[in-house]
Amino acid sequence: MIENLQRIFRTAYQGLKRNNWLSVACISMMTLSLILFSSMLLFNYLSTNLINVLKAKMDLSIYFKNDIPEEDILKIKDELLKNDLIASISYTSKDEALKIFTEQAKYNPALQQALNLVGENPLTPSLNIKAKNSKDYDKIVSMINNSGFKDKLLQIDLTQNQIVINRMNKISFAIKITSLIVVSLLVFLSFIISFNTIRMAIYSLREEIEIMKLVGANNWFIRGPFIIEGIIQSLIASLITFIILVIIFITFGGRLDSYLPELSISNYFLNHWLFFLGSQTLFGLVVGILASTFAINKYLNI
Amino acid sequence: MSLVYFKNISKSYNGNLILDDITFSLEPGEFVILVGKSGVGKTTLLKMLIREELPTKGKIYFNNQDITKLKPNEVAILRRKIGFVFQDFKLLSNKTAYENVAFAMEVAGYPESAIKRDVPEVLKLVNLERIADHFPYQMSAGEKQRTVIARALIQRPELILADEPTGNLDPINTWEIVKLLIKINELGTAIILATHDKEIVNSLGKRVISLENGKIIRDEQEGKYLI
Repeated sequence: MIENLQRIFRTAYQGLKRNNWLSVACISMMTLSLILFSSMLLFNYLSTNLINVLKAKMDLSIYFKNDIPEEDILKIKDELLKNDLIASISYTSKDEALKIFTEQAKYNPALQQALNLVGENPLTPSLNIKAKNSKDYDKIVSMINNSGFKDKLLQIDLTQNQIVINRMNKISFAIKITSLIVVSLLVFLSFIISFNTIRMAIYSLREEIEIMKLVGANNWFIRGPFIIEGIIQSLIASLITFIILVIIFITFGGRLDSYLPELSISNYFLNHWLFFLGSQTLFGLVVGILASTFAINKYLNI
Repeated sequence: MSLVYFKNISKSYNGNLILDDITFSLEPGEFVILVGKSGVGKTTLLKMLIREELPTKGKIYFNNQDITKLKPNEVAILRRKIGFVFQDFKLLSNKTAYENVAFAMEVAGYPESAIKRDVPEVLKLVNLERIADHFPYQMSAGEKQRTVIARALIQRPELILADEPTGNLDPINTWEIVKLLIKINELGTAIILATHDKEIVNSLGKRVISLENGKIIRDEQEGKYLI
C-alpha cells in the first residue's frame, strides 16, 4: 500500500517534470483562473461593503428651537432611544454646531463673512438619528411628526434624506443582483478555464493511459498520478496567484484605495491574506481534482 | 487442459461480420502463427484475449476461465498474465526503457527489491542493458520492439501475443525479434504470432492457423503460408 502510494507520487513527479511544457501551460491557465476567482472575492467584498458604507452615511437630523433647554432635548433623546427602529442618536449643542460649522467654513470666506455679519450664533441644537435599517427612516419621521415634542422642533431634515434613502434602497438591490450575476459568471469562467485545460492535458496523454491499461494497471494506479499532478499544479498556481496579488496591492494599493478610501481594498486584502490564499487553494484543488477525475475516467474504459 | 480456448467466436462491427464461428485452442508452451490478409480479424482475435474487445457471440477461455465475463479489476489481473507485443510498440513515451519494463512489475505490485533484481536481467536478455536510461524517442525501432518484449517477459507470462511485431522493422531486426520469440517459447511461454510475413511463417515450421473471410480455412502443425 505504502509502496503503491510512493509509486503514484513518483509517477506524478515524473509526469510534471517530463511533460514540463504541458505542466507550465496548465499552471498558467490555472493561475489565470485563480486571478479571476480572487477578483470575484474582491468584487464581492466591494459590492457588499459599498452599500454598508453608503447606508452608514445616511441619517436623520431634527433641529430644535433655540429656546428649548438642553435637559429637555436630552430627555427626548432618551425617549427616542427606547424605539426599536433607532440604532443611535447623537446630540449636537448650539455651541458644538457652531464649532463644526466654523471648522467647515475655514476655507470658505463667503460663509465666514456671513457668520461675522450675523454676529451671534445662528445655529440651533440638534439630534442626529441613525436607524437600524435604512428602510425605516420613513417610519421614524412619521413617529416624530406624531410625537408630543413636535412643536419643539424647528425642522426635520427629511426631504433630501428621504430621496437619498429611497434611491439607496433601490440601488442596493440592483448592486446585489448585479454582483450575484458577476460573481457567478467569474466563478463559472474560472472553473471552465481550469477544467478544460486539465482535460486537454489528459486528452494529450490518452494513448499513455491506454497502454497502462493494457499492461494491467488498475484504474487507481492510473488515476492516482494524474490527480496528484492536478493537486500539485493547483497548489503552485495558487501560490503564484497570491504572489501576483501581493505585488499588485503593494505597488498599486495606495492608488486603488484613493478611489474608495472607506473600503481600503488593499488593506482588506493584506489583512485577509490567509482567507484569500485558503480560498484560492481550495478552489484550485476542487477544480484540479474534479477535472482530472472526470477527464481520466473517460479514457479508463478500455 | 488448454491454455486458451476460443469457442464459436463471432464478431461483427456495425452489422459487418469480421469473425465467423472461430473455434481453436492453444496448449501451454505452444507456438501458433495466425496468418491472413489485412482486415481478416487477426488483431481482433488477439485483442479479445486481453479484453480490449468483446466477441459478439461465443466464449473465450484462458486457463479455463471465461474471460468474456470478467469484472474490470479481474481484467487488469488477466492482462498481467498475458504479455503483448504490437507493431506500434505501445511504449510509455515519458518513461525510459528501464521504467517501461519496471512499470509492468509496479502495476502488479512487485516490491522494489524484485524490480531492481529482475529488470536489469530481462534488459540483458534482450540486449538492451546499455540503453536502459533511453527514452523511446532516443531508440531505434528494433530497440523499441526489444523493450516491448522485455516488458512482456518481465511478469513471466504464460502467453505472449505478438501482433505484426516485425511490421516496422528492417530484415536484421526482424530476425532478431523472431529469434527472441523462439527463445522465449523454448523457455516455456506460449506464443500467438499474427503476421503476413511469408518468409517468417515458412521458415519457423510451427502450427499455422489461416484465416479467410472471417473463418479458419486451415489449421496445420508445421504449416506454411498458403494465402
